[in-house]
Amino acid sequence: MILGVRQSVAVATLLATVGAVILAVLTWKGAPVTSETFLVTTYIGLFLGALWAMYATGLVVVYTTTGVFNFAQGAIGVFAAFFYWELHVNRGWHSILALFVVVGLFAPALGVVLDIVIMRRLRTASLVVQLMVTVAIMVLLLSVVGDIWEADTARRVPYLFGIENGIDLGPSQLPWHRLIVFVVAIAIAVSMRFLLRRTRIGTAMRAVVDNRELAALNGARPNVVSSTSWALGSMMGALGGILIAPELGLDPATLNNVVIIAFAAAAFGALKSLPLAVVGAMLVGLLRAHTGAWLDFGPDFRFAHLSIAPLLLLFVVVALPQARLEVGRLAHHLRRHERYTKWWEGLIGCGVVILLAVVFSGGWLDFGIWDPGAWGSRELNSANEAMALALIGLSLVPLIGWAGQINFAPLAFAGFGAFVYLKLAGDSGNGYWIVLVGLLCAPLGALVALPAARLRGLYLALMTMAFAQAMSLIFFPHPWVMPIIGTGRQFPHIELFGVTFDDRRGFFLLMVSVFALFVYALVLLRRSRYGRRWMAINDSQAASATLGIPVVWTKVVVYAVSASMAGIAGVFWATVSGNVDSVQGFDLLIGFNIVLLVAAAGVSIPMAGIFLIFIPLFTGLGHRLEDAGSVDFLVTLLDIMTTYGPGLMVLGMVFNPRGAIFEMGRGFSPILPWRSDARAEIAAENAQKREPEIGELGLERPFTPEEVIALDRRLEILDEVVPKEGYGTPRS
Amino acid sequence: MALLEAEQVVMRFGGVVALDNASVDVDPGLVTGLIGPNGAGKTTLFNVVTGLLPPTSGKVKFDGRDITRATVSKRSQMGIARTFQKLEAFNTLSAFDNVRVAVEQNHRAKWRNRKVSDVAHEMLGKVGLDEVADVTVGTLPTGSARLVELARALACRPRVLLLDEPSSGLNEEETSAIGQMLLGLVADKENELAVLLVEHDMSFVMGVCARIHVLDFGKIIAVGTSMEVQSDPAVRAAYLGGDEFRGAYAGVDQ
Repeated sequence: MILGVRQSVAVATLLATVGAVILAVLTWKGAPVTSETFLVTTYIGLFLGALWAMYATGLVVVYTTTGVFNFAQGAIGVFAAFFYWELHVNRGWHSILALFVVVGLFAPALGVVLDIVIMRRLRTASLVVQLMVTVAIMVLLLSVVGDIWEADTARRVPYLFGIENGIDLGPSQLPWHRLIVFVVAIAIAVSMRFLLRRTRIGTAMRAVVDNRELAALNGARPNVVSSTSWALGSMMGALGGILIAPELGLDPATLNNVVIIAFAAAAFGALKSLPLAVVGAMLVGLLRAHTGAWLDFGPDFRFAHLSIAPLLLLFVVVALPQARLEVGRLAHHLRRHERYTKWWEGLIGCGVVILLAVVFSGGWLDFGIWDPGAWGSRELNSANEAMALALIGLSLVPLIGWAGQINFAPLAFAGFGAFVYLKLAGDSGNGYWIVLVGLLCAPLGALVALPAARLRGLYLALMTMAFAQAMSLIFFPHPWVMPIIGTGRQFPHIELFGVTFDDRRGFFLLMVSVFALFVYALVLLRRSRYGRRWMAINDSQAASATLGIPVVWTKVVVYAVSASMAGIAGVFWATVSGNVDSVQGFDLLIGFNIVLLVAAAGVSIPMAGIFLIFIPLFTGLGHRLEDAGSVDFLVTLLDIMTTYGPGLMVLGMVFNPRGAIFEMGRGFSPILPWRSDARAEIAAENAQKREPEIGELGLERPFTPEEVIALDRRLEILDEVVPKEGYGTPRS
Repeated sequence: MALLEAEQVVMRFGGVVALDNASVDVDPGLVTGLIGPNGAGKTTLFNVVTGLLPPTSGKVKFDGRDITRATVSKRSQMGIARTFQKLEAFNTLSAFDNVRVAVEQNHRAKWRNRKVSDVAHEMLGKVGLDEVADVTVGTLPTGSARLVELARALACRPRVLLLDEPSSGLNEEETSAIGQMLLGLVADKENELAVLLVEHDMSFVMGVCARIHVLDFGKIIAVGTSMEVQSDPAVRAAYLGGDEFRGAYAGVDQ
């Protein structure tokens, strides 16, 4: 049944209120509520809200005017804060001058460059490519910050105008810094609203996102408009970063996580409404301040009060009415044929992978190629870690690659899998429980997808991110969930078929075998009716629904399958690291890097997983080179490749959305005898390139006979129009 | 009683009234036309009937049951199939897989325990696309992709088939072949099929449709046979100056 707007808002509000009241009663601290403490808490909440509102405003402005949701908004703030620190603190520039250089010059320039080089080209890209690219920019910016400003120095960004002076509010003092932040945030939101609603450029900005061509015909200049949006959005991110840094400290991860609160606030305004986004940000701020002041969740849930943003997002997702299935937005023409891996190709590929693994790990089968002793435990260790990551990455293939849905929480599902395994298998490490882990993770995936599956894909992406954060704030820190954190106890070695996989080589080969099994299962799944159904909803949800496919349910099932695979992978990941510290749901960079690497490899191809095996090769090679000592340049190069590789590769998706494996397959097709399809396609493309370009519709000069034929061919009327004897003289 | 009825459907987008108390009824055994100038609300009516848009007010009834609040896929499983004005083919699937998805996912499509691939091939054959069965639809010309959509809709074994401008992108020969096929399908009593056709090609509409509804500014301004509709003064006024209709008259005069 479809709920109307009012009904769904009512349901969500009711659930939220009941939940909040129960929670408040259970965790009431008992501190006396005086008007004084209440006021102070409120103004802290409003101030926090104002900071987040600044980020949210930037997000909403960019989204409403360009249609791209910018995951890098927080990272822009991080970069700006560090840049500001460099100028103001490290080089001693005056704060106003530094502020002007960073927010007034650097940030808009960054926005314009991003727009021209990347964002403009994303207009017609799929949601997956759009999000991947902005996430890649986020990861790249954070990597750059990490490389320029190394973490070994303690840094502080001072408050503007200090924290000591301010207005006397009676019970306490309101520092100038916070007052200014509040006023500036509100002023920005109000002026942006005015800009979008009341000015000529604002109207153009909103028109362009609806219909670029039509807006252009009416005199709007789409490129100017999108550059303006990105410049403004980037400025707001930068200002937010600089103003929030004194409060949170200058730590890239912490500062970047702020953006999740901004996402929730923007979602509160349905990603379109500036006033509601500001209200959402204030709401998070107030709730956070007041829960911190009056409620006590106890030591087991010590981070719970930080999870208000994910909860707000959940509220929004439940409250939003079902999204309409959009029609008429499909770009019809693909340039290339889809190719499915044949079952025997999959079999051969998996065989090759296992063979390579045996050779790589060396110890069991010594072909005399490698000196087994030289590949010591360190290489195998990093190889094992990377294999486990690759297994987690595989779980994204059906979800992102086929169904076109996004999941930023593969590590949260993996962590849940590790938790289930720990509870089931205990100390014994009985590997058969892994099957049950897979079964128990599926409902979790379904549960995460269920509320947002009725909405547009972006909400599901945000939901998975919020889920990952909530898991790492509420679930994983609980001592019952992961009792071995910090105690250093080892995760049990897996025992299967009477063999205990307690040495690194054996475990590596076990993982590679599981990996090959997964890949092969995916090859078969892609050719099955389920794979087809998932690809169908990716291509057109509206058409799928009119054929009788329950779209929402289908999405939920894909999430369940993906969560199940990730959960199983999580058991291996936890076993590799010996404990579960590293599987905590929201290690932002690792989680995103997995998603990015799989996407860049070509996430629709099951064999894309094999791509992730390059990580152990690179890391192993890096260690070897480091040991050899002399080749610093190569070590640095490998280091750069591992740090920046995933991000840079994903940027390549702007131009080649099909991914690296696809391009490699085409590139190697001349020497792969069975790829006659790719050879034919390349030949056809080359033939098309030789066709003359059609000029300005023949207005500048008459058509040449070749152009007439080319035009007819494009219009598919060649056979009817071309006379037997061909065109004699040029027409004018 | 009509198989499919839209009763007094109103559809508002903000201040724009796309459908204004529009009522349409479709009977099995014949092709019903829905014509009107650009922007009259034809596609909006299709979207309301198939459930892609919830109407502001009004009802949609199918086989006597009120389905106004049923989901899109539910309606499809009941036997309502459609094609789209702007292509919604599964671009990354082959033509064959496009049709196969429909056969696999639609309960009605399980034709007398026949093999899925046989049914899919038969449907592709009906629209004359056997030869491109293995071609990825995104690389096909628009006209062929449109026919894939038609084959896909037919594969659902619909009781009501809604076609949104099936002839665009097709040449005259192909258009008349589609017309013949539609007439054949509805004439076969066993199918009990009703077709609702939105079309700009007037000679096609006049040749195929037994009954025609004329929509203008969201209102139904005339209902009747092709002759009745063409002589209706309100219809003439709506189309005044429209080349399409003059062309249609020329066809009738001959």
